[in-house]
Amino acid sequence: MFKGFAEWLKNLKNEGVEHISVEERRAFLKLGLVITGVYAGGTLLSVVSRVREVYADIPEYVGHYPYKPHYSMVLRTDRCIDCERCMEACRKTNHVPPYGWRTRILEQHFPKGPGEWERRFMPILCNHCNEPPCVRACPTKATFKDPKTGIVRMNIKKCIGCKTCMAACPYDMRYFNEEKRAIDKCDFCWESRLSEGEFPTACAKACPAGVRIFGDLSDPESQVYQLVHDPQRAIWVLRPSMGARPNVFYTIN
Amino acid sequence: MKKSLLLITIFLTLGLILHALPSVGQDGEEEAEYPTYPIIFTKPLKAVLFDHKIHVEEAGLSCEDCHEEVFPMEAGATQENEDFNMESLYNGNYCGTCHDGETAFASNTRCATCHIGVMGWKRLTQKTEEAEEKGEH
Ligand code: SF4
Ligand code: SF4
Repeated sequence: MFKGFAEWLKNLKNEGVEHISVEERRAFLKLGLVITGVYAGGTLLSVVSRVREVYADIPEYVGHYPYKPHYSMVLRTDRCIDCERCMEACRKTNHVPPYGWRTRILEQHFPKGPGEWERRFMPILCNHCNEPPCVRACPTKATFKDPKTGIVRMNIKKCIGCKTCMAACPYDMRYFNEEKRAIDKCDFCWESRLSEGEFPTACAKACPAGVRIFGDLSDPESQVYQLVHDPQRAIWVLRPSMGARPNVFYTIN
Repeated sequence: MKKSLLLITIFLTLGLILHALPSVGQDGEEEAEYPTYPIIFTKPLKAVLFDHKIHVEEAGLSCEDCHEEVFPMEAGATQENEDFNMESLYNGNYCGTCHDGETAFASNTRCATCHIGVMGWKRLTQKTEEAEEKGEH
């Protein structure tokens, strides 16, 4: 399953960043959300040409966010060293079986020159999309978007194991849990930690490199807010063309 | 009992000699002065690659430059030290002796150059195992 995801990522076309006008960039600046273009060795789409589809075209998202708190994660991907402490912490905290996963690390090779490349690791997890295809696809409403926090959660009692949501997720962020006989996925540690008043997520807490920044995108005091709204910073999301509007963002430095 | 012990000793000695022969080289080349296999630190976290070859051939370092003052010769000894961590590197210890941003790239940059990750570690250990299997049978 995961192999398929990596393959699929690799086969994506890089859109490039050369077609974005200054006006366009400025327009995004005004909207309060700056997303400049970054491509990642041909494995990620540039977000710039699609930025309207990421956030900005939905008027109610401009300047404020639909949830309070609006949970979000920013991944400073170039710091990741694939130590897998996050994965271990997640497995322990959320009882993820060895065959399943709620978060994983991808490896990328960036070409640097002839015969030269640079390694980079990229953590992935459920994007807690604002327009989640998985929620739309679920026939029983077992997958739902928490109206308070925006976290995309599972009601395993309602799950009939049809795996429609698995097919619908453009990010392949779900797996079937044999023990629960239901789909399992990242819930930003809602059940295991957040609802108990513990903060942040297990993975963010475990990361020794400060890769995973978790917080409230609607709170100007929150580090995720500050990173995403920094005009100097390149921010991107995975597969913006899907229109799922992720709440998981990527950046470097 | 004694006979079998003797036999084992003979076999072992023979094995050792045979094993050592190829490293002398077909055309009389001497064995490399440094370990040619990668050193992988797995503490305090997985997995950091150290390659002697790059440091000797490309950076032009000699053994004494790093041994014994910065690192003891004994493989794996350094990673048992409690202060073998990034903080200590930033303070100019261990790899940080040279990886200070002037002599060599700073230890707080280009993380994934040395940190090959659990994936890289698995790949390497698998390769070594395969090679060993092939070489021995
Ligand atoms: S814990 Fe942090 S550095 Fe380690 S693999 Fe996870 S995200 Fe990367
Ligand atoms: S990443 Fe996939 S599982 Fe997560 S909310 Fe989006 S569509 Fe659903």
